[in-house]
Amino acid sequence: MEPFELPLAAAADAIRARRMSPVELVDSVLDRIDKTEPHLGAYVTIVAEQARRAAGEAEHEVAHGRYRGPLHGIPMGLKDLIDVSGMATTASSRVRAGHRATADSTVAARLDAAGAILLGKTHTHEFAFGLTTPQTRNAWNRDRVAGGSSGGSAVAVASGAATFALGTDTGGSIRVPAALNGVVGLKPTYGLVPRHGITSLSWSLDHVGPLTRTVEDAALVLTALTGRDPRDPASLSVPASDYRPAAGTDLTGLRIGLPRTYYFDNVDPHVEAAVRRAIGRLEALGARLVEVDIPMTRYIQATQWGLMVPEAGAYHEGSLRTVPELYQEDVRILLEASELMSAGDYVRAQRSRTLMRAEWARMLEEVDVIAAPSVPMPAVGADEETVTWPDGTVEGVSDAYVRLSAPANITGVPALTVPVGHDPAGMPIGMQLLGRPLGEPTLLRVGHAYEQTQPTRALATVA
Amino acid sequence: MPATELTPPEAARWAARAGLVLPAERHAAVAAVANHIHGVVVVLRELDFADVPPAAAYRAGEEKHDGAV
Repeated sequence: MEPFELPLAAAADAIRARRMSPVELVDSVLDRIDKTEPHLGAYVTIVAEQARRAAGEAEHEVAHGRYRGPLHGIPMGLKDLIDVSGMATTASSRVRAGHRATADSTVAARLDAAGAILLGKTHTHEFAFGLTTPQTRNAWNRDRVAGGSSGGSAVAVASGAATFALGTDTGGSIRVPAALNGVVGLKPTYGLVPRHGITSLSWSLDHVGPLTRTVEDAALVLTALTGRDPRDPASLSVPASDYRPAAGTDLTGLRIGLPRTYYFDNVDPHVEAAVRRAIGRLEALGARLVEVDIPMTRYIQATQWGLMVPEAGAYHEGSLRTVPELYQEDVRILLEASELMSAGDYVRAQRSRTLMRAEWARMLEEVDVIAAPSVPMPAVGADEETVTWPDGTVEGVSDAYVRLSAPANITGVPALTVPVGHDPAGMPIGMQLLGRPLGEPTLLRVGHAYEQTQPTRALATVA
Repeated sequence: MPATELTPPEAARWAARAGLVLPAERHAAVAAVANHIHGVVVVLRELDFADVPPAAAYRAGEEKHDGAV
């Protein structure tokens, strides 16, 4: 097995035991990037020389007994909304031409302190305002969408072009591309990971979190990211915690909510079958299934849009007036139309969110975790704009990809996507686990238990 | 067209009131997207909010313990 093929936890074990040097790992992943990048386009910027220098320093530290922890010497990509001092944060947009970040974002600084090594910045759908990331191709089939908006991060991890990556999630932008590329994605509880230094799409819905090969890897990255930063007004004071899940697979006593409504409506039959099979696996591990009714489903999309569209419009108010022609058309028109929404629309969405959070809290008293599909269908063709469901409903591709993600953004509950198989065309399928606020340990425990019962997943073979 | 839908000239006027001058060739497309968004969010008017406050919140001063979400 080549070093680039190793999941984070295995690479960390090898580095700690000095069976592998960070230099070997970083060189291997950079070689892999050379092979994959011409086909996939996951990265905006690659800082190979800087990464090699950092790997040399990391190697020196380990050799001298200064081991920082599981991220020491691990190469990673950051979505290009995340500031790294001295580098451009392009947001994959011409609007940001000439940009240069003057300081690290909180997450970049924390990963640096933990010893992780930056390989480069990964593509986002422009300013995170979309679900496909058209610059990047799906790791499993170049004719399919990467998903978005953290498409570059997901494709890099799925193809071995990063050992892990960070993404952001405002309406599914970690979970959607993770599911479509067969990797793990964690949207943490709102406020658990500080967003200072990250370009916003919608302040009240934005989250930042890891995309990784395994659930255990996501836990290792999360451990390095949490902790209050008052520069993010939503940041929570939560004691430092080691999120690494225990090795056991026994889920006896755990109550898993099986949605009777919403999450299995208008879902591709292969997705439904794979997710129900995975839920059956969790039941076989001792979990008890409890049917739940998802509250206020009629108002999910309205609440998501009522919050996101005006907040995005507010963020871009200045540049929409000075350089509107520099935006891609799909983003520009949404920003322009956002200016025609009323304050009443926005406040109603905020009040609806209050109701929805309370209803979800009640539902989550009855169960420990909710298990559901992450997205209604696998990655569609890059030129497809709509999907037609058997009941005749025609749904926009982006609307479909947001549909099952939005509840966790609106309510702030944590949500984890775990790969649970492929459709007959070989495209990955993800199962979503949703928990109580700050219930990450439970989600990670369940996801890790499931993964331990499954064969190790292979990387996408692209190049 | 329902009476509540914005026409292209109305969309241009509303945008101008918001301080955004739209080129003439964009009026129709912006009106169409604005009407679509309105169609999505308008269902929130069905909810009986009674005294429910908006979810937006802030802390007036630092607190030692705020682990709850």
